[in-house]
Amino acid sequence: MKLLTHNMLTSHVRGVRPGGGFPLRIQATEVKVNNVDFNQEFVARMIPKVEWGALVEAAESLGHLSDLPHELPPEYENNEDFLRKVHHVLLEVEVMEGILKCPDSGREFPITKGIPNMLLSEEET
Amino acid sequence: MEHEATQLENQHVHSVYESTASYFNDLQSKAWPRVRQFLLEQKPGSLIADIGCGTGKYLNINSQVFNLGCDYCEPLINIARKKGCEVSVCDNLNLPLRDQCFNAIISIGVIHHFSTKQRRIKAIKEMARVLIPGGQIMIYVWAMEQKNRHFEKQDVFVPWNRDLCSRLLSESNQSGHKSDLEHTVKKHPQQLVGSECSYPINLKQELDTKSSHSTDHCLAKTCCMKMSEEEENRFYSALGKSFRSWFFSRSLDESTLRKKTEKMKSLKNVGGWANSTISIQPSRHCSLDLGRCGPLLKEQSLDDDEVFIENASVKKPQWMTASGVIRDLNGEHHGVVQSKNEETSFLSGPVEDRDNNCTYSRDEDGKSTASKLFQRTSTTDSTDSILDEAMAVEDQVVDILDTKAFMRYYHVFREGELCCLLEENVPELHIISSCYDHGNWCIIAEKIAK
Repeated sequence: MKLLTHNMLTSHVRGVRPGGGFPLRIQATEVKVNNVDFNQEFVARMIPKVEWGALVEAAESLGHLSDLPHELPPEYENNEDFLRKVHHVLLEVEVMEGILKCPDSGREFPITKGIPNMLLSEEET
Repeated sequence: MEHEATQLENQHVHSVYESTASYFNDLQSKAWPRVRQFLLEQKPGSLIADIGCGTGKYLNINSQVFNLGCDYCEPLINIARKKGCEVSVCDNLNLPLRDQCFNAIISIGVIHHFSTKQRRIKAIKEMARVLIPGGQIMIYVWAMEQKNRHFEKQDVFVPWNRDLCSRLLSESNQSGHKSDLEHTVKKHPQQLVGSECSYPINLKQELDTKSSHSTDHCLAKTCCMKMSEEEENRFYSALGKSFRSWFFSRSLDESTLRKKTEKMKSLKNVGGWANSTISIQPSRHCSLDLGRCGPLLKEQSLDDDEVFIENASVKKPQWMTASGVIRDLNGEHHGVVQSKNEETSFLSGPVEDRDNNCTYSRDEDGKSTASKLFQRTSTTDSTDSILDEAMAVEDQVVDILDTKAFMRYYHVFREGELCCLLEENVPELHIISSCYDHGNWCIIAEKIAK
């Protein structure tokens, strides 16, 4: 599970207040770092779609913050250095094994072989 | 009805995909051209979700975008993952995704697996929810109107049977165009039924090698090259019998509507059964268990939860419960299969049931559950399922199912049905285009800007 994916995932347990299921807290037992080709335009376009605070928090919790700023710098589109850092965090860091935890309900979703399983039981939906 | 719907889908969608996932190797299969085009047209840097992605066929088409695949079936997701795709196991009806985060969504051959209208609507609304305003969604569903035939009813159980496919393949090979057809089928099996979700074809070689991961084995899901008309017709005629043996049922929606009027009637009035247009005949090893009152197959081991445990069906191989998979909320079964020697026809009309024994049992709630046991009047070997007789076509019994058959549920769509569904229930989506593509109804819709 890449951090870009994590940034879109939310808990949907019944009863969780709106927005209360995001962002999921990551408890990783295995993290992998891959080499992914850097595509500057791709990363620049991805940034506005990302919840920046959640991304930083997630990267930090995995120990991969690598001096990514807590605030989005203005005019980042041409800041290659910055974009490379974002690229690394969004696409190269992968949680292979671990747990995603709903901040509101505490419900845990497992990550196995890089795949988060977000299925709920019938009672929970 | 939600529980029944969930049960039905668990049994005839999720379990089937999970059990057959290892046979699905779509290295050879190609993406639908229109879907491919839709994906390639997305701007670089887009976020795209494939909801119901299966083995991830569409997740590697456009490298300029970020693709997330979601599917309910873990085994299929595992296959997609091995291809390097970013995937998650989740439920279309409850997407674990933030509002408005995707630029585009595709739903290819998914919505037709939902067993009620409300669930189909919910699935679409969920996808609309996670779409960015201005973003587009492409939906493909199996059409009722097929090229050489059309489904007689909209709620269908389609058997998946590797041996069937292989046998039919060899039958049509007898016409002498073996290598061409085989090649075509090997590459483009999907054309046979012109649809997304037809039989996966298992080639004879596959059986010989006893390998379930042969790369020769095509997922009959997509195909981008047409067979020649001639080949197609030959194969269609070979498959024709099996087409007629697909099983139709009353939809769960219909059952709910009729519940009130038929509540007590069907207990006493056998005529009520006679008017049923349903024939569902499970194959030997396919359980159509609906929880409390699933029909039993003679070789099936009993679930302790099942209500009619007291029936002798388990002990007498010739006695089989033939009951509709769909039952209404009272637990009544609606389904009749008539077996009359070899002249059985697969029925969509009144059914005679003079050979029937009716037994009723009550569960703790006091609701009555009806099950019917039919004695087979023919003396075929008990190893043949009653199915074989039930679906005789033109006085010919076609034994199409073997022990490995699975039944997949589909609600096939009439022309205009998908559009209406959106127009009437999903105002947040505005339909851009719709078409018929290889046996599917396809629409592209856009999320309206606020």
